[in-house]
Amino acid sequence: MTTTVTAAQQALKPSPPKRSELWKGVPWDWLGLVPFFGFVAVFLVFPALSIVTRSFSDGSGNFTLSNLHSLTNPVITLAYRNTLWVSVITALSGSLLGGLLAWAVTLGGLPRWIRSSVLSFSGVAANFAGVPLVFAFVALLGRIGLLNQLLRPTGLQVDPQRFLYGFWGLCIVYTYFQIPLMVLIMAPALDGLKKEWREAAENLGASQWQFWRYIGLPVLMPALLGSAALLFANAFSTYVTATALLGAIGQTFAVTIVVANQFRTDTFGDPGLGYALAFSMMVVIAITVALYTYSRRQAERWLQK
Amino acid sequence: MSTFQNFNRRRFLQLSALANAGLITWFYGPRVSFAQSNLPAPPPAGPIDLQAAGGMEGLIAAARAEGELSTTALPDDWANYGGMKKTFFSRYNFLKHNDLTPEASSAEEIEQIKANAGNKGPQNPDVIDVGFVWGAAAKAENLLQPYKVATWDTIPDEIKDPDGFWYGNYYGTMAFEVNADAVPFVPQDWNDLLDPRLKGLIAINDPVAGSQNTHSVWAASLADGGSLDQPEKGIEFFKKLAQSGNLVPTGTSPSALVSGELPITLRWDYNALATRDNNANLANIQVIYPKSGTLAGVYLCAINAYAPRPHAARLWMEFVYSDEGQLLWLEGYAKPVRFDDMLKRGVIPQELLAQLPAADVRVEFPSLEQLNTGLQYIRDNWAKEVGITYAS
Repeated sequence: MTTTVTAAQQALKPSPPKRSELWKGVPWDWLGLVPFFGFVAVFLVFPALSIVTRSFSDGSGNFTLSNLHSLTNPVITLAYRNTLWVSVITALSGSLLGGLLAWAVTLGGLPRWIRSSVLSFSGVAANFAGVPLVFAFVALLGRIGLLNQLLRPTGLQVDPQRFLYGFWGLCIVYTYFQIPLMVLIMAPALDGLKKEWREAAENLGASQWQFWRYIGLPVLMPALLGSAALLFANAFSTYVTATALLGAIGQTFAVTIVVANQFRTDTFGDPGLGYALAFSMMVVIAITVALYTYSRRQAERWLQK
Repeated sequence: MSTFQNFNRRRFLQLSALANAGLITWFYGPRVSFAQSNLPAPPPAGPIDLQAAGGMEGLIAAARAEGELSTTALPDDWANYGGMKKTFFSRYNFLKHNDLTPEASSAEEIEQIKANAGNKGPQNPDVIDVGFVWGAAAKAENLLQPYKVATWDTIPDEIKDPDGFWYGNYYGTMAFEVNADAVPFVPQDWNDLLDPRLKGLIAINDPVAGSQNTHSVWAASLADGGSLDQPEKGIEFFKKLAQSGNLVPTGTSPSALVSGELPITLRWDYNALATRDNNANLANIQVIYPKSGTLAGVYLCAINAYAPRPHAARLWMEFVYSDEGQLLWLEGYAKPVRFDDMLKRGVIPQELLAQLPAADVRVEFPSLEQLNTGLQYIRDNWAKEVGITYAS
């Protein structure tokens, strides 16, 4: 196979070449990537760069650090604290509950149809968020919601102030889409746990606990960490769900709402602060994604063997 | 063979990086350096009043020559703007109506003027309808041109620009909107809202997000003989309301109110009355004006300094400020600015007057200065004071 053409060979070629031959060397397969790169440029590179440059510029385009300095405002640090807590709590609860559920349907010895129905349901539920999700929870846990109607004869009542319209409400609602997301990510990883490892461990006299302690969990740990990171990012960047549930005070619970408030028109907002906030969120997400990618790579390395 | 033979992955990435860099430079370069580009000089302002425009017949003839009118941000279901548009454009059916972005906000309307400066096309709005605080700001930026409608003298002085650049058109009064079926008692004044029996029953929308919501907090400043110069009293009141557990930290909606999930909120009376009428067979909605005082929120009309159709714009202004136009707003429960004058002259039909809620309460019209400082104070302090109370 030769890829170089000597001058002599070229001279020997009949000329002019046919049109079809002229286009022979065009790397069509690479051209196929052009729309993708165009898409990335327009919808990822431009917006991201725009956010970074505008974080450091005042209204008239001059360099400034005041936008970043505004991030130390107590309301914003409170919003950050709450957002991080909600993200951590729902990432942990989602990982735990979703992980156990994934384990039950993959290795738990349940009938096949349970596995497929749980996975299909997870595919739907992981994407069920925003206004419809909040509406569903209000219909269930609200002051006049289904649960309170059912509880009425008993005299017990769920207090929506405590369990719905506030910090814990946000945690409960987010967990609804975090669990199925975890199931979707962990099921394939659990499938990758080879039967032979368990058999080998059992033959060598390992107990159930020892198998998980020394083989199962270490193998799964990178995947678990990676999934938890993804869940964290998922909760951290949620906007519509938080707005729909905590419209009146959401700004102290979700950084995304603080960002949106800087651009929503009737607010006399501060776009510079909005860009700086978005930039700070990009940093948090970049760290999380880096952690996720690293863990994922480790997991794949383990499971390939 | 062609030179494309050497086209490999590395080369492709190099080229696309180069292309990206070029695009980025093209995209950001001009933006950053010309961030403060100036608008073109506006054309000379049109006639200042009906006489200068050649009387009603002259104005109609000039509007006919222009042939169309672009309005913006006029939703059909807001203050009966649907009826207003329909009546005007069937009367002057030689005008083609360009009904631009009915859901636009005030700030977006101002942006439309700036973005279309010098543009003669239909997408350039000739007239705007914006929140009261925007008039003076737009005038200061030279985005408006003056015109005094024939009924100018009957528009109260405190809600018009003396030079005619903008003037208030209608207003609503902040009221309690209560689903009487779902509450132990119907609150009649601000302090009633603090009653322990109303625990978990009151909700408002984010005061940072819209002027109706900001005004609902500010109105509470009038409780116990306070004034609109004390927006901090409103914040203080809502802080107490939050601490008492009566204020639910979620936003509300007409459906949540009608269902009884969140049965008490604060809104402009014309929106609350419309919800009442639309749900008459579902719930007993009551619209209550707090006894110790409430405030009025005014919107205003103005003509774009760059209006491509200045005469059609003036014809529109004459119509909405005529008795007939003002009554159309009243049908949508929005109180037209010339209400007192028309009441005095007895031109308001009895059945329209009868459908208005009795309002023997103190209603204050905030001045422009009070508006600017009051609303800004609420926006700056709501999250800090009331929001933090919730979070801790």
